[in-house]
Amino acid sequence: MSEFIQLVIAGLTTGSFYALVALGYTMVYGIVRLINFAHGDIFMVGAFIGWTVLTTLAATHMPWGIGLLLALVVAMLLTGGLGVVVERFAYQPLLSAPPLSILITALGVSLALENGVLLIFGAGFNTYPQLIGSEGFMIAGARITDIQVGIIVLSVVLMAGLYFFVHHTFIGTAMRALAVDRDAARLMGINVERVIQITFFLGSSLAAVAGVMEGLYYTEINFFMGFVVGLRAFTAAVLGGIGNIPGAMAGGLLIGLLEAFSAGYISSRWTDVIVFLVLIGTLVIKPTGLFGERVVERM
Amino acid sequence: MRTAIPVGRLGIAALVIAAGVPFLCDNYITDVALTIVTYGILALGLNIVVGYAGLLDLGYAAFFAIGAYTTALLETLLNFNFWETIPCALVFAAISGIIIGWPTLRLRSDYLAIVTLGFGEIVRIIAVNLDITGGPNGIYGINPANVLGHDLTSPKSIYALGLVVLVIVLVFVIRLGQSRLGRAWQSLREDESAAEAVGVPTLRVKMLAYVIGALIGGLGGSLFAARFGTIDPTSFTYAQSVTILIIVVLGGRGSIPGVLLGAIIVAGLPEALRFLNLWREFVFAVALILLMLLRPQGLWPARLRRIAAPSADEAHHVPHAEPAAQIAEVTANEPETLLEARNVSRVFGGLKAVTDVSFTVHRGEILSLIGPNGAGKTTVFNCLTGVLPPSSGSILWDGRSLTGLVPHRVVARGLARTFQGIRLFNNMTVFENVLVGMDHRFHVPLPAELIGLPFARRDTGLHYAACRNWLEFVGLSDKAGLRAGDLPYGDQRRLEIARGLAGQPRLLLLDEPAAGMNPTEKQSLMGLIRRIRDLGTTVLLIEHDMLLVMGVSDRVIVMDRGQIIAEGAPAEVQANSRVVEAYLGTEEDDPEDGPVGSISEGALA
Amino acid sequence: MTLLAIEGLRVGYGKVEVLHGIDLTVGAGEIVALLGSNGAGKTTTLRALSGLEPVRGGRVSLGDTSLVGVPAHKIAAMGLAHVPERRRLFAPLTVEENLKLGGYLMREQTAELKRRIDAMYALFPRLLERRLQLAGTLSGGEQQMVAIARALILQPRLLVLDEPSMGLAPLVVRSIFGIVKRLRNEGMAVLLVEQNARQTLRIADRAYVLESGSILVDGPASALAQDPRVQAAYLGGVAA
Repeated sequence: MSEFIQLVIAGLTTGSFYALVALGYTMVYGIVRLINFAHGDIFMVGAFIGWTVLTTLAATHMPWGIGLLLALVVAMLLTGGLGVVVERFAYQPLLSAPPLSILITALGVSLALENGVLLIFGAGFNTYPQLIGSEGFMIAGARITDIQVGIIVLSVVLMAGLYFFVHHTFIGTAMRALAVDRDAARLMGINVERVIQITFFLGSSLAAVAGVMEGLYYTEINFFMGFVVGLRAFTAAVLGGIGNIPGAMAGGLLIGLLEAFSAGYISSRWTDVIVFLVLIGTLVIKPTGLFGERVVERM
Repeated sequence: MRTAIPVGRLGIAALVIAAGVPFLCDNYITDVALTIVTYGILALGLNIVVGYAGLLDLGYAAFFAIGAYTTALLETLLNFNFWETIPCALVFAAISGIIIGWPTLRLRSDYLAIVTLGFGEIVRIIAVNLDITGGPNGIYGINPANVLGHDLTSPKSIYALGLVVLVIVLVFVIRLGQSRLGRAWQSLREDESAAEAVGVPTLRVKMLAYVIGALIGGLGGSLFAARFGTIDPTSFTYAQSVTILIIVVLGGRGSIPGVLLGAIIVAGLPEALRFLNLWREFVFAVALILLMLLRPQGLWPARLRRIAAPSADEAHHVPHAEPAAQIAEVTANEPETLLEARNVSRVFGGLKAVTDVSFTVHRGEILSLIGPNGAGKTTVFNCLTGVLPPSSGSILWDGRSLTGLVPHRVVARGLARTFQGIRLFNNMTVFENVLVGMDHRFHVPLPAELIGLPFARRDTGLHYAACRNWLEFVGLSDKAGLRAGDLPYGDQRRLEIARGLAGQPRLLLLDEPAAGMNPTEKQSLMGLIRRIRDLGTTVLLIEHDMLLVMGVSDRVIVMDRGQIIAEGAPAEVQANSRVVEAYLGTEEDDPEDGPVGSISEGALA
Repeated sequence: MTLLAIEGLRVGYGKVEVLHGIDLTVGAGEIVALLGSNGAGKTTTLRALSGLEPVRGGRVSLGDTSLVGVPAHKIAAMGLAHVPERRRLFAPLTVEENLKLGGYLMREQTAELKRRIDAMYALFPRLLERRLQLAGTLSGGEQQMVAIARALILQPRLLVLDEPSMGLAPLVVRSIFGIVKRLRNEGMAVLLVEQNARQTLRIADRAYVLESGSILVDGPASALAQDPRVQAAYLGGVAA
């Protein structure tokens, strides 16, 4: 039983990363019908920016809380900005081109980010400083560490914040309106291009938080880390119903739990296969996902 | 069909140079050339999926892996020789193509990309984690291919084998491009729903692209295994799939010289520019982005394929190729009632677009469906042609049900349609557009067509002649070789009609054919509609231009708010007061100027 | 006083020119109808006006300002409100959210916005009952009310309505036209596109008839109501 709870805790922790990244996929898909291939790599860039800030600050002996906060804020702002730049220059010109073009461009952006980071930071692993201790406390025979608590709490706070933003602010409501009918939104005076950029900013900065958290949790980051996380987060978004924000959150946690149980009861070597089977299964059996819209072409 | 392969002088020169490499260059360069050849084969295979059919496949390395591992395992475990492993590799690759393709080809293109990526990873992970595949170390000790007693172990001999395989694949792929299947792929890429609506079985065609691409990938894999004698999972990663995709996109999707050029650049150049190694991937990534923004058609874009239409003389000498004969073939023994719609309704969410619509279409008439905006006319068309299933009610054709059939099957039964906004295959020639319209009547098996067997060629001859005659019928025979997208508006309309007629329809549905035409063009359209009917094809027409409708129709059906409100001869309908009301509004008292509060009571039903 | 002036407007898609040089004016305190059978180019004219469709040639001005080449969201800020064909509400959002989005450009002025939304509820009490309902679940007439209310929040100078009567029962159409008349009486300029000629000509002051992208005939509504050309444009011949 305690093993089960231990796995649940691990699952919820990694599920938090997946949920935060999945939100970016789902929001972007909701408004521009694009699977942003580069989103997983945005997550990776966030992790590296956080690392850079933390290692730079390490020499200053700043209290770790402030350093971490600074790293998070800088990562969020810069990564969010990167998301906007990518949207503005690589995606926006292609929004009315055939869908294949923009998919290939997204692939190009993904590769560019991966190889760009590879060129700057090298192919090896970079190590995050150990900031948060691994003590924690026990629940029903399972240990939950401070860092796990921190991750889960921060994610919940951010997700709640996003939900509030999307449902109770004007810009958030404009985002939801855009997803339904772009021209009608323009007629209301909504600057559609600007709102799309804000969406990219939000999605990217959430992914950056996930990146920094992953760096703290696993301590090792690498230029290719966005690949696996990106695919799992995307599966989470589809599972929850793509375009659906609470769905992405739920999907992320579910995939995190799936990963933990797969590693605990089967073997971590097969986790990717299981996750892909979930993806394919969802698309084939219930394309709407748990809460969302149809993805299959009606001929 | 022409059996000549359009190679051109450049192609021959390239072939000569390629063949000369082992004789003129050292082993190192021959090796590089072999890498180019291998990537060339793989890229030609992916080109079918991405370039011809327009499906984004990010896991193509999976087929490469399946071919390589099949050859490796059969040789090392069961002592097959290289040649014996090839059919097995092809079979396994094809089966895997069917397995992934079947559930996923219904998905939108973006989902297909991720799912294929996933499949590529699954194959690699399985290869890494199973003992039988050698785990992360892979398989070694694979025997080289043996030709006439000689083991092909030297770089030059393997290169020769590779080049032969490349040429075979090249010929195959070129022939495919010229065939009916190649046309179907291109029409799919141009406009999938229009292709479906003119009789292309889109799902099956997508599957074929996938499977044929898989076959070629598998073949490349076998060759790869025999070349090195060892294989391991690191050759079959996502990065590999992406590299092959970059070759296809960089060179030019759908363009064979482009793909080969891409292989030379991506596989060959880095060897020449070793110092750029670390920057190579980054440069390719940026090139991909810039390419899509500035030159999406690639470095050496696919040329407008030109299948030459036969001359007037040739076409008129082929028996049964005249429009009259073509239609007579299908309309012999037609029942009096062609189509019957019974209580057809279609609901969208809460909106009743079409309610309880019943009517019949009689053989040989010109029937028009008219009504104000939002009346439900196009929805009725969509139900008849299988684009939308009716929510209730039934549609009978020849006494059998048409309800629920997919559009291409409806076309096979003898209906054809044109669209309100013209939907041609813009990047295909005028002649090819018409060919696609007739392709569903062509029943020669693909291999026979590719080889060019006599009965296949006869059929093709009839096909080409008939289509050319249809172009003449609508007045476009002198424009057969032009790009469809370049035609003036009126000609595009006529081409769409010719494409529909080429399928030998017994019922032709025209959706607002006169939209955007000037009075002279409308006159000529009216003449064309009458001539179509005189051939024996029944016409069902949606139109807004009343002069045209009244001038050409035998009967008129009027719809308003989803229901039929009148039916009869044109003059009757014009005089019908309900019809006049529907269009112009009622003779009634003024709207009240009363206090606004009155709005809340009952009026907003 | 002329508020909207269109001169020689040409609009097209690719090879096709849909509008071949239209001239049209609308003044404050008048209802101008734009009639014509389907496919004549009415919706295209409105979309070009609002900036949703690029203009190939000609002049369009609202007051002294040219609208050509101005993006749609800026035109909305200039006092032109466009109620699109088939309503096009944001179906998964509530009635209240739809109205609020109508006031997107004044989102900072919370108190004033609330006042204006309340004014809309006063004008359309039925909507007050339904304010938290999803807009997609309302009846056709109620949706039209939301669409118009949404457009009125910013107190536009020019209200453009694209076939408000489409798909609605005659009684409902009457009440909508009643509202439009009332707005005109209060000084708003209204451009009303309709297929329903007779009812429209009864409330309009002036009208234009569009056919195949050109103005066939225009003038005072009462004159056009008797003009046989109007009927012919719709029905292709003399009818009873």
